[in-house]
Amino acid sequence: MNPRYRVGADIGGTFTDLLVLDDASGRFAIGKVLTTPEDPSQAVEEVLCETLAEFQISASDVQHLIHGTTLVTNAMIERKGAPTALLTTAGFRDSIEIARETRYDLYDLMLENPRPLVPRHLRFDTPQRTLADGSERTPLDTPFVKQLARELFENGIEALAICFLHSFTNPAAERAARAAVKEAVPAMRVSLSSDVVCEIREYERASTTIANVYVQDLVEKYIRKLESRLAALNFAGNFYLMLSSGGIATTETTLRFPVRLLESGPAAGALAAASYGKAAGIADLISFDMGGTTAKICVIDEGKPLLANEFEVDRVYRFKKGSGLPIRLPVIELIEIGTGGGSIARVDSLGLLKVGPDSSSADPGPACYGRGGKDPTVTDANLLLGYLDPKFFLGGRMSLYPEKSRSVISEKIAQPLGISLEEAAWGIHQIANENMANAARVHALERGKDPRRFPMFAFGGAGPVHAYRIAASLGSPHLVVPLGAGVMSTVGFLTAPLSFDFVRSWPVSLELVDWDQANRLISQMEKEGTSLLANSGVATEEMVHHRHVDMRFIGQGHEISVALPKGTLGSNSTEELSQEFQRVYAQIYERAGPPVPIEIINWRVVSSGPNPQVQLRTQNAAESTGEPLKGNREIWMPERHNFQSVPIYDRYRMQPGFRFSGPAVIEERESTVIISGTSDCHIDEQYNLRIQLEAPHAP
Amino acid sequence: MPLDAIQLEILWNRILSVANEQQTALVRTAFSTIVRESLDLACGVFDTRGQMIAQSLTGTPGHINPMATGAIHLLNAYPADSLEPGDVLVTNDPWKTAGQVNDLTVLTPVFRGAQIVAYLSNCCHSPDIGGRILSAEAHEVFEEGLQIPVTKLFRAGKPNAELFRIIRANVRTPDETVGDLYAQTSSNAVAARSLLELMDEFQLETIDPLADEIIARSEAAMRAGIRTLPNGRYEHETWSDGFEAPLGIKVAITVEHEDIHIDFAGSSPQSQRGINVVLNYTQGYASFAMKAAISPEVPHNAGSFRPVKVTAPEGCILNCRRPAAVASRHLVGHFIPSAIFGALVDVIPDRVLAGGADPIWMSIWRARWPESNRSSNFTLFQLGGTGARYGKDGLNATGFPSGVGGVPTEIFELQTPLVQEYRCLHPNSGGPGRFRGGLGQEISVTANCNERWSVSGMVDRTKFPAAGLQEGKSGSTGTLEVNDKEAIPKTILWLEPNDTIKMSPPGGGGFGTPWERNPQHVLLDVIEGYVTIEAAKLEYGVIISCSARHDQLVRLPDCYHLDLEATAQFREANSPT
Repeated sequence: MNPRYRVGADIGGTFTDLLVLDDASGRFAIGKVLTTPEDPSQAVEEVLCETLAEFQISASDVQHLIHGTTLVTNAMIERKGAPTALLTTAGFRDSIEIARETRYDLYDLMLENPRPLVPRHLRFDTPQRTLADGSERTPLDTPFVKQLARELFENGIEALAICFLHSFTNPAAERAARAAVKEAVPAMRVSLSSDVVCEIREYERASTTIANVYVQDLVEKYIRKLESRLAALNFAGNFYLMLSSGGIATTETTLRFPVRLLESGPAAGALAAASYGKAAGIADLISFDMGGTTAKICVIDEGKPLLANEFEVDRVYRFKKGSGLPIRLPVIELIEIGTGGGSIARVDSLGLLKVGPDSSSADPGPACYGRGGKDPTVTDANLLLGYLDPKFFLGGRMSLYPEKSRSVISEKIAQPLGISLEEAAWGIHQIANENMANAARVHALERGKDPRRFPMFAFGGAGPVHAYRIAASLGSPHLVVPLGAGVMSTVGFLTAPLSFDFVRSWPVSLELVDWDQANRLISQMEKEGTSLLANSGVATEEMVHHRHVDMRFIGQGHEISVALPKGTLGSNSTEELSQEFQRVYAQIYERAGPPVPIEIINWRVVSSGPNPQVQLRTQNAAESTGEPLKGNREIWMPERHNFQSVPIYDRYRMQPGFRFSGPAVIEERESTVIISGTSDCHIDEQYNLRIQLEAPHAP
Repeated sequence: MPLDAIQLEILWNRILSVANEQQTALVRTAFSTIVRESLDLACGVFDTRGQMIAQSLTGTPGHINPMATGAIHLLNAYPADSLEPGDVLVTNDPWKTAGQVNDLTVLTPVFRGAQIVAYLSNCCHSPDIGGRILSAEAHEVFEEGLQIPVTKLFRAGKPNAELFRIIRANVRTPDETVGDLYAQTSSNAVAARSLLELMDEFQLETIDPLADEIIARSEAAMRAGIRTLPNGRYEHETWSDGFEAPLGIKVAITVEHEDIHIDFAGSSPQSQRGINVVLNYTQGYASFAMKAAISPEVPHNAGSFRPVKVTAPEGCILNCRRPAAVASRHLVGHFIPSAIFGALVDVIPDRVLAGGADPIWMSIWRARWPESNRSSNFTLFQLGGTGARYGKDGLNATGFPSGVGGVPTEIFELQTPLVQEYRCLHPNSGGPGRFRGGLGQEISVTANCNERWSVSGMVDRTKFPAAGLQEGKSGSTGTLEVNDKEAIPKTILWLEPNDTIKMSPPGGGGFGTPWERNPQHVLLDVIEGYVTIEAAKLEYGVIISCSARHDQLVRLPDCYHLDLEATAQFREANSPT
């Protein structure tokens, strides 16, 4: 029998999740084990073996294994990458420390600036200068570079980032420096800024290049180790990794640009939402993924998550935007905020209730875990409100202690505010909801999207508990909760097409574009994409190339993304593109722009293989037969200002076509859905729980 | 509308997110690097009475506060019944808004049906507004550029074509100046869209009661902060280079229960040149400093200004009379926070900063590309070091009190025919202290052109360094040099093609006795090159040696050796007290 199973694996900070799927039948198995930080490949092997055994297949039956990890993000936050040096144009070694010179909080006098990954004593002024037009003013001092490389290597520095001014216009000097380094020290790892991110602004470009080489050794060792473990299990299928952009790539590409693995777990969640939405006939939706520490929100527009070109890692001061290291690369644009099950609630100096962003994390965890947690958390509030069953947390594998939640919420919230225990718990729940709804709203609106048009797709361990009210607050028409919501990210790995992003910086006035040159540039990128896809086993007829450009009015510093017309470009493309730009601009910014000419900055191609369809359908037969209604319990109904007994359903026994009305609780092992209103609900053909929402109402 | 703590929190957050969207839209659509790279801007949401309820997260106090108090002037000129949907107001009156003609304030009424329910305003620094190139050389405001009294920029959605033509005809950068005005208009329009959605969703007919509640709570919190200060009168004096002569800024702060009065009587009289500060701007920076010191977490709005009364005698440098020249008012106004912190340091040492570089270094670069008609009119901002804090060193090359940022070298060189020779931190420039002042920076620029070029360098602290606090020492002074010779700040410097100009914004002052700085921290400073081995001994009494060979390029931490015993002996023998 040909190998036909596919496996998705997600290494999180606490758990390693894995999904084995038989595409033909939709049958699946889920595994969850504790992550093994010393050697993360160990947990992958462990959970893979367990889950395959449950499925009664072997590793040789697996066709694709697709994998994402927080390894890179954590290495940067915990500063566990390789000691790295930086070569800059002489006179500019402090660019990454001078950074943008702004203060990200105007009033806070105790701010701290982000710490560069390369300390100052490992940043070297390198005699060399390229000017803005790409011309060489001072040639590279090759003997200096060689000497430096040798000294660095002798001192145990084996990773080197090179970022010269204007290398995005002319990369020759960076390439010559790499050649010199490699000649002197063949073993030195080198990343060039013109390879990693070929765009203007030296601070962001250097920061990204440094991150790339900083984690390279770590990623390579890990991947090689995992490959050998897989080989020992007789796995002979394809092994891919997920990138920040949501594309998947071969290990070889990943090893060249390991920084592209950042945020690959959350990206997978967004992809799962997109794919499920498509299968259910919902092209536009808001994906909402809430875990223990953070919530991730992403807008899915016309079946695709939005992409951004920059984000921040390792925020050093109160998670504030601006206190992290900028990373410039294509990334699924999601907003991640510090609101999760473990987020801590407190009363602030204005006498207002606040929730997060600090978290009780896994240890000690919420008070109700009974591990010494002294702060009230969102999970504690949910427990008191009856939204979680203390005897069915993680399917009953973990006990919760409601009396501990009661005492911390009473002491730290209810008494100081002079309100009842239930009001305090509801307040925590509601503020958490509003934090997430606000983030979702800003995120959508900043991208010119109206959240009221978007159904919500909710998952993650804590997501389904909160989603109903958040969706209502956003004015969503309805809410969708998939089967297996607690491990949705692993599904995302299996829904991603193989995909490669290309960008060329060619700033040119729209009036002056040489369309023949543009066609050449694009076909060059498409050719690269075709060859990478072909090497990964994608048939030519299944390849798709999306072409778009970053455009702006001449003089602006930020671009908007506009799709290029299809087919060969020519003189009439100018007018077509101009109109499309004006349309998109007015839609986002409410007003037409000034009477000023337009320019194109970057030309982009995304080359992808086919979109695999994934559908989780049935659990094993024993679990899925029987009456879905399994009992009743009291949950807090804020509008009644009281508890109300509502039915509890077993998610695994709900078959397509099953209909019921809220209020209700729906339980599966890794998550609980709370419906605290009178909505009509049903299970659709794809096994999704669909909840119709009433007219929007104020929370 | 009765509001409980939870509903209020929800609505408040929503209004803040409206202001942040406003800023995002402004930055993304702006033309000048002043707005889009350096963030010299402010955005705010106002109620129907012209009270500011919320501002965006970043920006600069010199814009936010004067914009907040200035909205009422725009509404006096155009009361609600003279406005219709699609109208947009503009002014750059220095005395009514942000204190210089380059700062354009754009205000948009938000209509819900026929009713105005709010106003949105933003203020940013225009790359050029005509007149002289921005410097401190003018004697009267009339020389400093086009003055726009409160006028409709858009009328019922249509651009005021004549005004735009007048602006275009007066400025050196017509596309940028006009482009930024469009960006300012878009920014308010985007925020209006969100505000109206919020009102629909929560079925709010008006936001005024919400504004009252937010403002009342902010005021109460600010007053609670003031109550933590002992009653009394606290004084301090600080000096700016000035133009013709040094200028004294004298402050007396009177704390009485939950009110504060900040008075600048005794400060120098107004100058004949363009460094005069309007009262609006003085009030902005004074109330900013007070709030940052005692209640940084309190949201900034009309309520947080109320308990702080700011006065300065008319005709003094901090309350100048029309038609004084005001273009470079930040060079004086930015000293206000460090003067206030100096007065308060003995009362709240753990909540203030030592003196820092203070004024941002702003320079205008005019040059023509060789064999081309293209010329640049580029505004560069540079930041020196901030003052040290109790418990923390100052920040290197980071703005304070303004939140304005710098410009990437690559952007500067793309938009001018100029070349930066270096842009680096300035070793030993941070004031010694138990906590060290932030380092200043140094840049050197040459031209890649074949005719004369000019730089207008609006810089200060070249004579009076940033003072340390509580035995902390001063940071280094700034320097402005052409071909290694001292040049005159605040004027237009004409340079030959081969000339080189060097600008080094100053370092921040230290906090606490340098002799008490942890020797390990001095060692780290030496390893990183923030402090030299010589200065470690001279300024900190810490004895460090380096075992690296003379020609060794890579010097890891283990090349440096801290001699704790020698340090203890040296500190004992040479104790400054």
